[in-house]
Amino acid sequence: MRRIVTVGALLMMGCPGGGTGSSKGQVPIPPVIEGSFDLPTIPAKIETTASQPMDGDTPSARSPLLDVMLGETKREMDALSKQPDPAYYLAYQIVERRTVNLETEGGALIADRDATARSLDVEVRVGSPALDNTRRLQDDQSGVNGPLFRTSIVPFGDDKVAISNALWVETDRRYREALLGLSYVRQDLRTLKTKETAPDFSHAKTETYVGAPATLTFDKAQWIERLKRCSAKALKGSATRGSCEVTFTLNTVWFTNSEGTAIQQSWTQAELAVSVGVKSDDGQNLNRLEQRFGRSPADLPSDAEIDEVIAEVNADLDALHAAPRAEPYVGPAILEGRASGVFFHEVFGHRIEGHRQKDSTEGQTFGSYIGKLIGPEWLSVYDDPTLLTLNGLQLNGFYRFDDEGVRAQRVDLIKDGQLVGFNTNRNPFKGFETSNGHGRRQPGMSSVARQGNLVVEAAKSVPREDLQKMLLEEIKKQNRPYGMVFTDISGGYTLTSSFTPQAFKVHPVMAYRIYPDGKRELVRGVDIVGTPLLALQSIRAASREIETFNGVCGAESGYVPVSASAPSLLVERLETDRGFVPDDRPPVLGPPSVSKESP
Amino acid sequence: MKKLAFIIAALVAQAPAAQAVAPVVPVGEASKAVTDEIIDAIAEEMNRAMQQLEIPGAPKPYFIAYKVTEVDVNHAAASLGQTTSKENQHFVTLEARVRIGSPKLDNSNFVIPQGESIDGVSTISLPLEATPRIARRSAWLVTDTAYKEALYQLQAKLDSRRSGGTGRRDVPSLSGAAEDGKAPATRPVIDDKPVLVPALESIEDLEKRAKLVSAVFRDQTGIRESRAALTSYLERRWYLSTEGTSVTDTRRASGVVVAASGQADDGQPLADYFLRYGHTAKDLPTDKELEGEAKTIAANIAALAKAPVLEKYSGPVLFEGEGAVGIVRSTLAPQLGGTPLAEGGSANDPYAGGLVDLVGVRAFSPLLTMVDDPTATTGGGKALIGSYKVDDEGTAAQRVEVAKAGLLSTLLNSRTPANKDDLSNGHARVQGEGGVFRGSATNLFITGKGAIARKALQAKLVATGKSEKLPFTLVITRFDDAAITGAPEYAQRELVQLYSQRDKVLKLPPPAILAYKVLPNGKRELVRGVQLREIPITVWKDNVVGLSKETTTYNFLASNQPELLLRLSGGTDNGYVPSGGIESAVITPDILLKSLTLTGSSVPERAAPVLAPPKQ
Repeated sequence: MRRIVTVGALLMMGCPGGGTGSSKGQVPIPPVIEGSFDLPTIPAKIETTASQPMDGDTPSARSPLLDVMLGETKREMDALSKQPDPAYYLAYQIVERRTVNLETEGGALIADRDATARSLDVEVRVGSPALDNTRRLQDDQSGVNGPLFRTSIVPFGDDKVAISNALWVETDRRYREALLGLSYVRQDLRTLKTKETAPDFSHAKTETYVGAPATLTFDKAQWIERLKRCSAKALKGSATRGSCEVTFTLNTVWFTNSEGTAIQQSWTQAELAVSVGVKSDDGQNLNRLEQRFGRSPADLPSDAEIDEVIAEVNADLDALHAAPRAEPYVGPAILEGRASGVFFHEVFGHRIEGHRQKDSTEGQTFGSYIGKLIGPEWLSVYDDPTLLTLNGLQLNGFYRFDDEGVRAQRVDLIKDGQLVGFNTNRNPFKGFETSNGHGRRQPGMSSVARQGNLVVEAAKSVPREDLQKMLLEEIKKQNRPYGMVFTDISGGYTLTSSFTPQAFKVHPVMAYRIYPDGKRELVRGVDIVGTPLLALQSIRAASREIETFNGVCGAESGYVPVSASAPSLLVERLETDRGFVPDDRPPVLGPPSVSKESP
Repeated sequence: MKKLAFIIAALVAQAPAAQAVAPVVPVGEASKAVTDEIIDAIAEEMNRAMQQLEIPGAPKPYFIAYKVTEVDVNHAAASLGQTTSKENQHFVTLEARVRIGSPKLDNSNFVIPQGESIDGVSTISLPLEATPRIARRSAWLVTDTAYKEALYQLQAKLDSRRSGGTGRRDVPSLSGAAEDGKAPATRPVIDDKPVLVPALESIEDLEKRAKLVSAVFRDQTGIRESRAALTSYLERRWYLSTEGTSVTDTRRASGVVVAASGQADDGQPLADYFLRYGHTAKDLPTDKELEGEAKTIAANIAALAKAPVLEKYSGPVLFEGEGAVGIVRSTLAPQLGGTPLAEGGSANDPYAGGLVDLVGVRAFSPLLTMVDDPTATTGGGKALIGSYKVDDEGTAAQRVEVAKAGLLSTLLNSRTPANKDDLSNGHARVQGEGGVFRGSATNLFITGKGAIARKALQAKLVATGKSEKLPFTLVITRFDDAAITGAPEYAQRELVQLYSQRDKVLKLPPPAILAYKVLPNGKRELVRGVQLREIPITVWKDNVVGLSKETTTYNFLASNQPELLLRLSGGTDNGYVPSGGIESAVITPDILLKSLTLTGSSVPERAAPVLAPPKQ
């Protein structure tokens, strides 16, 4: 799986804590450099379809499980809210997931899994919304009050006795933990001179939604044959890996809380992954992973399309195998297609996650920039989990309600170059007192604000071929021997802690030098590095075409499905360095002869 | 299987067959994933690697071994009559192990600081259906990786020795190998005949039984969490080596666990469990018996909730039934391995051949005789799961008399010797992938002289107490097993605290679950919170004062993970019957030890729940 890993540093003490949500930021606002290109006022093409959170509400499909959960919630809150340290909020989330995984390697079935699991998450908040047990300690290097990764076992079905008992046990644990947490929070506050004034929990509307149970339908035998065929084609020559894999999931989630919210959602997901790998002569692991996502197995590519994917990844790998290693570089570059989406997700998206504006250990890169120009005036960015498709492609970050029971909402983040918003969950901060439905997590983790479907809009754009012409102009203007074009990025990380440079590093898979005469040369072993403010202000032009990256993003609340859609971007200055290549070598012997062996 | 042109084939012509293991009724099928063609394909790649694998300027392998493992396991778990999890896991792996240097000094049994995983061993998945082309390709890749790791490991080992590392220079790295044209002392085993065993019980059957048994707790009060789980497990193995080893073996086990937890009136967490393994479900208790065990567990927890805490005691302790198994399992059996501490390994490693210098002397009480016998399939009238044809290193299993009347005859050895002339006695075991083969106990039989009836042994306990003017003495009948009861009921802060005490806690035996004060009149009173202090190996020499005629046979999975780490990691996932660890059995009489001391309870303090359980 492609993973965009965020290293969200969670540590330590006192930082200047720039004003959040205010235009009176103490940090000087650097001027946005006006681009030298005269761009036509033609927007990049974006056509979307959406489904609103309440679409498909089917009260008749309500599971008795919701009432078991609400019943235990009431029983618990009747008692826990009367304790000396009262619980003021209790939420249950039960996630049932059937996961079918079929994997083939070189034409042979290597994994055939079909398992269904149910997990329970319980959130107990003790104290009051103004101050509760979840407040981060100022110095918590050992993580004693950090969230604990844990999923609990809960029986299948809706048997009241069995389910209620599981809820009771876990509520007791969590209440006990919450009491411990609150005692440390109080102790912490006694020692602090400057105290956080924003509350710890925001109000949210009570919701009731019942989605009809989804069904997962697929022809297993047919898929195994398709995958065998796929991987037989994918594994060739000296490749060290050639695998094709599908993962189908059937998800049903029940959520209730002590505010009366009761939500039942059910959906399927499907993913196809084609992965090939080879070791270069100097030991670099060269990998190409192509994934396709859909809402059901039927949405995945046809055999003919899979053949195209294999041909592409094999051609890419052959080319990478022969490609020279890149040298450190600073100069103009184009982030093309999906690379642009991943770039925005890492460089910008993780920094506009609301909780980072509150935590003093976070760099709060954009905390002072609300209302300020941070990019070109033709650039806008929003996040909209309600989008089903963009330009006909299904988006991976769709959901109706987040993991805190709040409706998914479109959020404008940059409007005409100005920063206007943050993705928020129910952890409020100054100027952003409510959730906009972006509280997300994987089961067992604690929700924080996360991205859903990130969309980059360009009010002015040029056809992609013109973008390359502009790059050539820029190369000449900057007197550079070549520019760079990045067409695919495998992932990366961004440092958001206040104790580290506010920097990012992303790993392009396909990176090209482009010479003044327009000739392209593939290179390998390159990382894009930089700082977010400078990177955004270096954007000079966008293409008319939009491409979408669908994937799975990992951060402190675990892995969640996301998408990022963006036009190709011309960046005036981008810095790269040499990526890490381990001290290794290809296999000593060539691959074994297959002449007398049958597959 | 076709004849393979092993490079040293001449040396294995005289290889004996493995010692016979009593056959299990062959009703199951042979593997569909690993056929003769797969083994041949791997062997061809082994031969190619042995002849050609060499980085210029670096040493070639002198030994390459492969282990193909096919695991097929069905699990089901239920709580209060409802399924909580069920699944089948079926996978095949190929492990390559490469040795560089020579049997006198090679890369093995050395831990690279901060690089524990660089050990000359590499593993890859194989297809679920026989595909020779992929098998050979996979062998090519894992051999290459293992070879490169072995080069690093050897270099690091040599560097360590140059800078004063602790390895013994006079002890070979690999025992029993062919050298200087001489036949190997450890003969390679050639036995390709598949071992057919009964098929797995179906998930549906396991689920049905788990639901039935777990439903017993619906009617019980004072129970916090409860579950029943059943497992049916099959592991086929194939071993190949450049010494000529070519052997296959199959291990088959079924298991059941019933477990519950509660809380004492003062908040102290309580737990009890019932665990049984056998070769198949036929060796397990009936549904009726399991329901009875569930009721007993509920009754035990109810009694423990009212029982007083016992934190101070110093005097004789009688280990009875599963209590005897528990003390043997946790404090004696792990010491019987003869594999030395890996160079560079942690000096605190509790399983690192602590008795190697005591071979030939009286290391134990003269009352004790110990035999470890992996060729035995039954003991005390019950199925034993620690049985095998060849050990994890491919060496034929052997019955070994470890100690006779207290005299330590030999330890349980792998091919990594502690002394110059040590040879493997077929006891190499390893948990998980890679790592060092450790000489380990399998089916450990403890017998002794002077055994008396169980009742008489308790009378001896009481008499000993009276002679020491003690107001009472102590009997332990069950220890905790963190792999079963270690559900992570911990807050983050509690975990940090627990981990900070690891140096102290790691050395302790598990907490006792069922322990009784025995009054001078012989009456027993249940107590809780009983935690013995560290029990050094010398206790087994100086403190054994009595054994019973009655014996207890108990199967379990020995873990390399100490009790504390099992607790930190939450024990078994999903409430299943533990299926990770080394299949083991202990057959032991009750044991009376004198002069043991309790330390304070290691069970955390908890507030009682605010609410009673939901009404049932």
